[in-house]
Amino acid sequence: MKKKGIKPGHISNTHWEKKNYKWIYLFLLPTTVIFLMFYLVPIVQVFVTSFTQWDGFNDPVFNGLTNYQNLFTSSSFLISLKNLLLWSLIAMFLHVGFGTLMAFILYQRKRGWKVTRAVFMIPNVISAAAWAMIYRFFFNNDFGILNSIIRKFNPDFEVQWFFSSPWAFWAVTFTWLFYAVIVTLLVLGDLMNIPQELNEAAVIDGAKGWQTIRYIQLPLCRNAIATGVIASITSRITMYEQISLTTAGGPGNDTMSLPILLVNAVTDYRYGYANAIGVLMFVIGLIMMGIINKAFRMNESDY
Amino acid sequence: MLTLKKGASRVFIYFLEIFVIVISVFPILWVIMSAFKTNGEILSDPLALPTSVSFDVFIHLFENYNFPQYFLNSLLAAGVSTIVSLLFFAMGGYVLAKYRFPGRTLLFVLFTVTLLVPAHSKTQPIFRLIMNLGLYDNLWGVTLVYLSTGMAMSIFILRAGFMSIPKSLDEAAIVDGAGFMRVFWSINLPLARGALATAGILMFLNNWNEYYFASLLTMSDSQRTLPIALSYFTSEFSYNYTQLFAALTIVVLPGIILYIFAQEQVQVSMASTGIKG
Repeated sequence: MKKKGIKPGHISNTHWEKKNYKWIYLFLLPTTVIFLMFYLVPIVQVFVTSFTQWDGFNDPVFNGLTNYQNLFTSSSFLISLKNLLLWSLIAMFLHVGFGTLMAFILYQRKRGWKVTRAVFMIPNVISAAAWAMIYRFFFNNDFGILNSIIRKFNPDFEVQWFFSSPWAFWAVTFTWLFYAVIVTLLVLGDLMNIPQELNEAAVIDGAKGWQTIRYIQLPLCRNAIATGVIASITSRITMYEQISLTTAGGPGNDTMSLPILLVNAVTDYRYGYANAIGVLMFVIGLIMMGIINKAFRMNESDY
Repeated sequence: MLTLKKGASRVFIYFLEIFVIVISVFPILWVIMSAFKTNGEILSDPLALPTSVSFDVFIHLFENYNFPQYFLNSLLAAGVSTIVSLLFFAMGGYVLAKYRFPGRTLLFVLFTVTLLVPAHSKTQPIFRLIMNLGLYDNLWGVTLVYLSTGMAMSIFILRAGFMSIPKSLDEAAIVDGAGFMRVFWSINLPLARGALATAGILMFLNNWNEYYFASLLTMSDSQRTLPIALSYFTSEFSYNYTQLFAALTIVVLPGIILYIFAQEQVQVSMASTGIKG
């Protein structure tokens, strides 16, 4: 690592490092404390106590897999798993699909593409809680936009979108379905990195517009698309505000999700049960990530 | 034939661009617009423009409810946590980028692999930790949790930022007799301001908008941040629509204004991590 311009032995890199070990470790101390306090210890605690019955006042009592068994026989948990699966599929195909489509649209660099890109970001910079609230008003039966437009054609129309089955599920889905700007930015980044010669070579070889997209550009952004899929599925696993502030999991358990169940368990002082849900959230995330990694051959390089 | 096809694809492109702009902006414009309408106007025609522009409802909210307090709470929790954690993670990212020492790779892997653990799954231990520290229903408890939230991606962004600063600059400073702190503070930190801005803005936005932990860790009115206040407000005053829309406007606008001033960094940082969305 030594640079030529500096006299050898004058300030050797390792010497400087050794001399400053105390500074180096001091600099790492705050991050390490945060890591221990908010990551390592809580994660270990979640895993260990997920095998216990624990109310937070008395000591946790080991009860094996009881929490997990209770979970897999509870209908609200099974429904939230089913919802997660359905939402993940929607996220993967429609949400990421739309985000990718928008990336290709913006890549054409037609007039207004920069404005579109900038504006598309806005729903992501405001609070998810506020966004949920906006949609609660948007779908409101009395003064919401949607119903008042529908009532222009059908004056007797009345639907409580967030509070009646089966609409609630789709109303919640709609609050995030088209807001795929992260995917768009990721894919657009990869598209812009494609060497211009590659696109030109394809044209010289006689590729039509859509063939260039299908055989050159799309395969070259599969890493970005896969990252987008992972990010959007992760957000489905942890989806809270969009549900808690609109339907609270109802009607019935129609829009139930794992974080809602987890929060309910924590506020009921069923800590072991809550942590079993936490473990499952983590495990489901890892499994999804593994599958997507494989499916998109993410670790192979392209150029 | 070719021009027809070209025209069709152009229409398609513009249609989608307009669609995206409408779904992104229209709901927010509708909220802001409705804040200037009376209850009756909102109910009779949700789509009509306001008939007059009056800021009375905003003044009313600020005078009769604790909105200045909520605003200050949000600013304090997000601001303090961002500044402190930015300094912490800059220190960590700096030595991870520029020095070799035992445990370097291990620490870097440990810090960044936390990205795989959803924050929600650690709810109970964090809830209990804050309880045990006696910081439940205290804004400082929320601030403390916010210190930790951006760790993995900030270390990632900042380490990359410090790595791109040439080592020859450090060496020149050392030859001139600068100590460890000087090399960090006067040479590296100013040159890493791009990465600092990227990480800082992302953390600030996330903490400013945070709802989950703030709702779990606070109870009383005086400790609420804006998103929490908003959710209480909408359930308590669910029949004064003008006030609801005005409250929503107050919560939404600061983030948008910050974004307008820091568009580039926000886009870069969100895309570089793929965290939200």
